[in-house]
Amino acid sequence: MRFNLFRQLDGAESGGTAATSPLLAPPHAAHQEPTGPIKIQTRDVSVFYGDKQALFDVSVDIPDKAVTAFIGPSGCGKSSFLRCLNRMNDTIPIARVKGSIRMDGEDIYDKALDPVLLRARVGMVFQKPNPFPKSIFENVAYGPRIHGLTENKTELADRVEQSLKRAGLWAEVADRLDAAATGLSGGQQQRLVIARAIAVEPEVILMDEPCSALDPIATAKIEELMDELREEYCLVIVTHSMAQAARVSQRTAFFHMGELVEFDDTETIFQNPRDKRTLDYITGRFG
Amino acid sequence: MLLIYLLVLAVFSTAVFVLARRAARRRATVVKAHSAAGYHGAWALIWAAVPALIILILASTFDARIERTVLIASAPEAVQALDAPRRAAFIEDARIVGAGGMPRQIWTGDLSTALQEEAARASRVDGALAWGGLIAAILAALIGAGLAWRQTRPEFRARNRVEAFVSVALFACSAVAILTTIGIVASLVFESLRFFQTVPITEFLFGTQWSPQIAIRADQVGSTGAFGAVPLFVGTFLIMVIAMLVAGPIGLFSAIYLAEYAGPKRRAVIKPVLEILAGVPTVVYGFFAALTVGPSFRAFFNWIGAQLVGGPLDGLGQHLLLVQNQMALVAGAVMGIMLIPFVSSLSDDIINAVPQSLRDGSYAMGATRSETIKRVVLPAALPGIAGAFLLAVSRAIGETMIVTMAAGLAARTTLNPLDTVTTVTVQIVTLLTGDQEFDSAKTLAAFGLGLTLFVVTLILNFAAQRIVQTYREQYD
Repeated sequence: MRFNLFRQLDGAESGGTAATSPLLAPPHAAHQEPTGPIKIQTRDVSVFYGDKQALFDVSVDIPDKAVTAFIGPSGCGKSSFLRCLNRMNDTIPIARVKGSIRMDGEDIYDKALDPVLLRARVGMVFQKPNPFPKSIFENVAYGPRIHGLTENKTELADRVEQSLKRAGLWAEVADRLDAAATGLSGGQQQRLVIARAIAVEPEVILMDEPCSALDPIATAKIEELMDELREEYCLVIVTHSMAQAARVSQRTAFFHMGELVEFDDTETIFQNPRDKRTLDYITGRFG
Repeated sequence: MLLIYLLVLAVFSTAVFVLARRAARRRATVVKAHSAAGYHGAWALIWAAVPALIILILASTFDARIERTVLIASAPEAVQALDAPRRAAFIEDARIVGAGGMPRQIWTGDLSTALQEEAARASRVDGALAWGGLIAAILAALIGAGLAWRQTRPEFRARNRVEAFVSVALFACSAVAILTTIGIVASLVFESLRFFQTVPITEFLFGTQWSPQIAIRADQVGSTGAFGAVPLFVGTFLIMVIAMLVAGPIGLFSAIYLAEYAGPKRRAVIKPVLEILAGVPTVVYGFFAALTVGPSFRAFFNWIGAQLVGGPLDGLGQHLLLVQNQMALVAGAVMGIMLIPFVSSLSDDIINAVPQSLRDGSYAMGATRSETIKRVVLPAALPGIAGAFLLAVSRAIGETMIVTMAAGLAARTTLNPLDTVTTVTVQIVTLLTGDQEFDSAKTLAAFGLGLTLFVVTLILNFAAQRIVQTYREQYD
């Protein structure tokens, strides 16, 4: 295990840097690994729910092959912004999105672009594990089936196996693929949902507070998984836990009252934030 | 009279309530009271009103019976010598005369003089009973109020007592419904047992001849009835299947539309309209079936028959020419229309209960709306929808009015939807309407049918509720 919950505490004790809290210890070597090229570029993105504006002119460059974390107090717009990136806001009738979001230079809000195809490229994992009421196998096979990604049963079974292996769940469920997915534990369900997202080979995986419904051990496993997935995907996570952002992300964006306050390397955000609001938030003065 | 007593009792117990409440307030000035003054008042009110009320009700229910028993027990020899029905008639006349009325029969000799004496006695007994009941009620009210008054002390836990009483009263109300059900079932079972003594249960359940008309005189033709209910079961089943073929798909699809496609505005219009459809009395559907749908279906099939006669399908044509207004198809189709709102409303609730997170999960995988509905929402809602369908089936086989008016009376074992068939409910109606002797096999057959119907719908409802319940638990 490359990460665990306690490692940050150890780091804080031995490092003794300017961190303001042991949980916000200095990032270790993993954080200094170079990130990939820009994957998603947003310019002046605003989100409205009816007459109410939830997000104001957000411009960020999200790198590939890295974990980007969105942090901020509840209702700050970070989840709304995340849901723009795969156009999930389209499913809310009163939601409206302004501004430009480009993935690999392509405008994802282009009228000609089918949001259904976009979502096959941008997977999403939700706060509460939401396995379909089907078998474990059928859950993972869902995406490949609806997108017709495999030619025959053997290929499908292979893909399911690969996805479960990459999500670190294969060893636990290999002998009961036909069992109901709802019978798994919360942490297993969340990894199953990640396997389900991986199975369609997306380029980006969005995670909306993926660990908030899980216990610390399950959380540690998911975080470990994120760190592995980072090598192949562009990961964007929304999290309430600053410690989690510090542990797993390379880039961090801090949102407050619907505005993007600061977006920088995770190390900078947690050790040397430019904005006072960021400093107040990470030191626990509000939020 | 009783009304006046009740009014007096109401005034009295209200006064007790007010007084006890005031007393509770006054007595609680030194020590802090356990219960609010209102509870002390309510407790006193319960004690003043409930025992007196029970006595009044018992007295007015049983006074005639007690009076009769007393009169018979002490009647003179001449009356005692009469046979039971005549004696009862005599006592009844004595009571009528005692109350100042005219006797219904002419009594002669000893009985004529006895009648006057008995009438006087009846009047005395009646008065005594009435006064006795009233005095007992007044005493009960006073004693109850007095007891409660003495309990009006600050430390008395009036609130707990009142709440216990309320919960008992509420339980009694729900028990009424349950006891009534048990009573109905018991009467069904006992009358059915009497029926099965005349007609063996195997013959009833598996016999294929149904002609329950038993002649009054033994020498009449067809003097024995036949009680094989299979044609009725088949008819009921046939109409139920037709009704579900109409209501199932239309109801389910309209539920899917309402739950997944309709915007809030359209939903706000369509759902109430569908529910109004559920409020149309079934007799209205019945004459819609009998007067509109039946004749037009008949005209349609007769026309097709006329085209076919003489051609290669001559046999079919001849058959279609004979189609009548009343047929299984008409009853089933109209019943299906009646069930649409039932199915769609239940299914809509169930589809709405599928968590949004499942839909989000599917959309986030790049699934379209129809893929999401087909592969995620409907499979998740399937158990609940099955439950809804079972409830609809149970209503279909219990439905009476539409089939009475549109299905016909001929007990035939057929699966041809164009034939007239008859159902269990229709036969119960025909067996029990009009003047009937209550102990012939013909009337008792209705109870046998009723019991069968009851058992089948009970099983269906039970299964449906279990299914829907486990489904609900899954997503709570």
